[in-house]
Amino acid sequence: MKMSGASDGAEMPEKRPPPNWILQHPAYQQMKDLQVGDSAQVHAAFLVYMDLTEVRRWKEVSCVKSPELQLVLLEVREKEGAPVQTVLPLPVHCSLSHKSIRQVLDRGFPMLLCAVAADSTLVYQRMTDGLVTPEPPVGPFQDVGRRQQRKRRQQR
Amino acid sequence: MEAPSCRERPPGSEEEKEDPAVVVGLSLCDSAPLVWRMQDLRTVRSRGLVGALLGSLPRAPRQNGRLGRPLLLLPEEERLLREHHAAAALPQPDRSQAMSGLLKQDGVRAELCQQYEEQQQRSFEEQSVLALEDRKSALHRAMTSSHISAESGAGTSDEALQHRLQTLDQNFTFPRSALAVQLSTARTGLSYCSEARALLQADWPIRQRCKPHCDARYQVYRDLRGRGFYLTSAGKFGGDFLVYPGDPLRFHAHFIAVCVTLDESICLLDVLAVTRLGSNVKKTVLLCSPGADGGVCYTSLQWSGMV
Repeated sequence: MKMSGASDGAEMPEKRPPPNWILQHPAYQQMKDLQVGDSAQVHAAFLVYMDLTEVRRWKEVSCVKSPELQLVLLEVREKEGAPVQTVLPLPVHCSLSHKSIRQVLDRGFPMLLCAVAADSTLVYQRMTDGLVTPEPPVGPFQDVGRRQQRKRRQQR
Repeated sequence: MEAPSCRERPPGSEEEKEDPAVVVGLSLCDSAPLVWRMQDLRTVRSRGLVGALLGSLPRAPRQNGRLGRPLLLLPEEERLLREHHAAAALPQPDRSQAMSGLLKQDGVRAELCQQYEEQQQRSFEEQSVLALEDRKSALHRAMTSSHISAESGAGTSDEALQHRLQTLDQNFTFPRSALAVQLSTARTGLSYCSEARALLQADWPIRQRCKPHCDARYQVYRDLRGRGFYLTSAGKFGGDFLVYPGDPLRFHAHFIAVCVTLDESICLLDVLAVTRLGSNVKKTVLLCSPGADGGVCYTSLQWSGMV
């Protein structure tokens, strides 16, 4: 497909690839303007943005820059009137330090880490300060001994 | 592990044998700190340290499930005991103490051998006597049974019996190979940890181990222990510690503690893996780092539930 009206004004090759819709998306450009310098992370942030807004339909998704980490963070509410949460989007091959996690937690909002895989699979994990007791296992509980005896009887 | 008995012990008692509450004796097997004595195990548990049992109980069933002494301590547990001056290493038989040590050891061994030989000899003599009596009564029964007395008169059978008994007396030998020997399977004590070695004679310090990661682990261990949690090793879950809200015999673990320094770079895939594992076994993963001020900061990692 021939491209007309190229924005950069450079010399035009014969065939141009179709425009990258991501690069042209206003939200992406907003993130780019934050100038964090890590394009892979910005790309990841954009994919998370799309998931939160279009798929999960969360509200008031906005992007902010974390100066300490030089990363794009997202602030979002799950529903109208719900508390603000911070989402840290990261490409899955990245590494991070506990310190940087603490710095995001220090913003004071509940935090979600989102890992973005190469095939754009997203995995969300909650990170909380302190010791959060896990949910107890759900009943009803069966006495293991009797179950085993029943099994043996049936086998005979 | 056998449940500890509930005898009351006076704190700060002078009696070394009765009092488990002051200093725990550790036997070092290479670098592994082992606890052998029952009172030491009780002390260790009463301090909220769990350790791991390694030995087998040869007379008990399901020997893979229920283990016996010795108790292996975590390096952090040993270090905590050391910091509270509550542990000392038992003196090992020193190989460099050449002659006198060896002779002493040989002397003890020779003495034991001699005692054993004497015991065997006594047993042999007793058993010979018993065997002879046994034979005599068997002979008597055989000679005085009905079909024999029918063949000859009463008088002659008596004489014949006496004659036979006499020959038996003179010619009877009890062969050594017929000796019944008892092999004891129960030990009355642990011979390599004899009470004769006074624990308080051991005043040389337990060897230091310096690794940067070990320090982070220890800070976390000490902080969590100080908050009343019980900790064991978490190799099964790929973490550093399993954190229990109370004694592990009564509770399931709530947390898998992973100890890192604040600046250490962690691969995101590892974070995802350990969190996923934690959610599958209903435990929260704790990322623990000692801070600069001596405190420890904890971050709980949980599955978000967002599919």
